[in-house]
Amino acid sequence: MSSTLKYPTVNDLKVRTCYVCREEERHTERPNPPKAWVHPCNCTLVAHEACLLQWIRTAQSDSARAKNALKCPQCGTQYELQSEKSIFLRVFTSVNGTMQFMGRMFTVFTMAGIVAVFGTGIYIVSTAYGAYALKEFIGNEMFNLLLTEEPANWPWHAFINLPLIPLSLILSRTSITSHILPVISILLTWPTSSPVPQQERSLREHWTDPRHAQELRISHLPSAATWPPSPLLFGLFVVPVTKMIYKRYFTMLTHWVLGSRPLPGDRQFVWQRNEGNILNIRIVAGIRREGDANADNEEAADDGNAEEEPQDVAAAAERTLNHTTSSLGRFIGGALLIPAISSFMGNMLFRLSKRSYLLRQFLAIKPPLRGHVASPPLGPYSYNQNWAGLGTLRQAKLALRLVFGSVWGGTRTWADSDPVWWRNAVGLGLFVVAKDCIQLCHLWMTKRELESRHVKDRSFEGIDIKELDLI
Amino acid sequence: MASISSRRLAKELNEIHAQGCPVGIELKQADDFVTWRFSIEVMGESLYKGEKHLLQFRFDPSYPISSPAVQFVVEDGREAPIHPHVYSNGHICASILGNEWSPVLSVVAVCVTLQSMLASCKKKERPVDNDRYVKNAPDNPKKTRFHYDGPYLFLRYLPATATRD
Repeated sequence: MSSTLKYPTVNDLKVRTCYVCREEERHTERPNPPKAWVHPCNCTLVAHEACLLQWIRTAQSDSARAKNALKCPQCGTQYELQSEKSIFLRVFTSVNGTMQFMGRMFTVFTMAGIVAVFGTGIYIVSTAYGAYALKEFIGNEMFNLLLTEEPANWPWHAFINLPLIPLSLILSRTSITSHILPVISILLTWPTSSPVPQQERSLREHWTDPRHAQELRISHLPSAATWPPSPLLFGLFVVPVTKMIYKRYFTMLTHWVLGSRPLPGDRQFVWQRNEGNILNIRIVAGIRREGDANADNEEAADDGNAEEEPQDVAAAAERTLNHTTSSLGRFIGGALLIPAISSFMGNMLFRLSKRSYLLRQFLAIKPPLRGHVASPPLGPYSYNQNWAGLGTLRQAKLALRLVFGSVWGGTRTWADSDPVWWRNAVGLGLFVVAKDCIQLCHLWMTKRELESRHVKDRSFEGIDIKELDLI
Repeated sequence: MASISSRRLAKELNEIHAQGCPVGIELKQADDFVTWRFSIEVMGESLYKGEKHLLQFRFDPSYPISSPAVQFVVEDGREAPIHPHVYSNGHICASILGNEWSPVLSVVAVCVTLQSMLASCKKKERPVDNDRYVKNAPDNPKKTRFHYDGPYLFLRYLPATATRD
C-alpha cells in the first residue's frame, strides 16, 4: 500500500477553512468553478491555492518579508513551490543578478571617487567625461576638428556643454526610454561650432590656395532634402516624434504581451524609496499597482479590486523584477555607458554597411578624410576674398543664407564629413529597442512563471488522525 | 462583488459577536470594513493596572494579504500606553504588524499579542527615539519601517483555524 493511500490529504477533510481568506468549504459542496485546496506544510493549516500563491507573491516582493514568504506561520515548514522555470528565465535572472552586483560595486567605487574629488573635481571629471562622450558620439575625425584632446583649444561653450553631458545622461534615465535626449543637446550645439583655431589655420591655408579654392564653389549648402537629416531636424523633430510613436506602440505591445489593460492617467514612472534608501525605478509602463502591503504605496490602497488576476500577476511580475533592477550604481552606470554603447552600435552598423549597399546609403557613409582636408565652416564664404566683389545686398542675403544653413544643417565642416553621429544615433535607437524587447521578454517569462506556480500538496502524514475530521 | 477583505472581515466580526472577545478586550467600533476600534486592558497584576487604551485598526482592500494599520488612539484626551515599543503618537513597533504579519493572524490575535506585550513590560518608558520619530512620523504607521528587537516579536497567538466542525 502506498503512503498516499495510507495518509489522508486535504481532499479527505469534511470541512476545510482557508487560513488566508477564512472561507469554508464542506466536502459535500461543489463550488463552481472548483477551487484548488492545498495542505502545504506539516500542521493542520490548509488554504486555497490561489489565496496562498497571492500571499507568497506579495510577501516575496517585499525584501523585508521575503524570508517569511515560504514559511508556514504556524509550524515553520518551508513551502515547496513547483513551477515551470524555462532555461531562458533562469539565464535572464542570473544575468540580472550579476548586473545587480556590478551595479553595487559601481556604487561603492563611484561614492569613493565622488568623496575624493568633490567640488571642482566633479566639474573636471564631468567635463572629461563629456569630452569622452562627445568623441564616442561624433567620431574621432570630427572630434579632432571641433575639440581636440587639448582643452586649451576648446571653444568657450565646451566648458558649459561638456560637463552637462553626464548630468543630462543621468537625468534622461528618469523618464522612460528617453535615452536619446542627451543626443539632442549634443546635436544642437556641436554642428554649428567652428573648428578649433589651430585646425582653422590649416584649413585657411589649404582653401585660400587658388589651386583648391575652385573645388569649394561647386559644393552646396545643407537643405531639408539632404541625407542624413540635418542635426537640427533630427534632434528637434525626428527623435521626439519617433520616440512618441515608439513609446505608444511599445506600451500597447507590453499590455498585449502581459495581458493587462492600460489605465488612463496611471503614472508611468514612480520614484520609490526602497529599503537601504536606494533609488529605484519601475521599468514598465502603466501597469496597475496592487493595493498592496508594500507600505510605500498607500495611495494605491483604494483600488478596491485586488482580485483581478491578470493585472495582479503582471504587477507582481513587474515588482519582482523591479526589485532586482534597482540600485543606484546600475542606474547611473547604465546612463554613463550610453556613449560607449552608441559608439559600439554605430561601429557595428558601419561594419554591416560594408556588405549592404542599402545600409550604406541609409547611413550616408563617406570615406574618412585621411589625406584630405575638411571643408571650412562656411564653405567658400569663410574667407574674405570670396566676399569681395559682391554688392551689399547680395552680401546680406548670403549672410542670412549662411546663418540659416549653419543653424539648420550645421557648418560645412560638419555637413561634409562622414556622419558618424548619424549611425551612432541610429545604433543607439536600435539598442534601446532591443533592450526594451529583452526586458519585456524577461517580464513576460517571470509572469508566466508566477502563473504556472503550484504549492506542493502534502498528506497529513505525522499528524494525529484523531485531530482531523475526516469524511 | 464584495472584496476578499470585506468577506474575511465579516467572518471575523461574526466570530467576535458569536464567541466574544478574550478577557480585557472589547469591540468598540466596527461600522464598516475600513476602521475598527477595540478597548484593551491588561488584566491582573501589571504596570498598566487600571489603564484602558483604545486600539485602532485600519484595513485596506487587500487585507489579509496586507497587514492592518494598527495604532493606539491618542485623541480626545486619550493617551498611548507608556511602553518601550509604543510611541507617544500611538504608533507601535511590533514585528507582527510588519515583517512577521501573516494572513493566519486575525484582528483578535493582534489585540491579544499587543495585550500580552503590555502585560510583560518591566519598565514604563517611551522608546529612546520617541521625540525624533513623532516629529516626522507619517500618518499611517505602515509607512514606517521599524527595526524590530526585543522579546515581543516572537509572541504569537494562533487561532485554531484548522478543521473541527
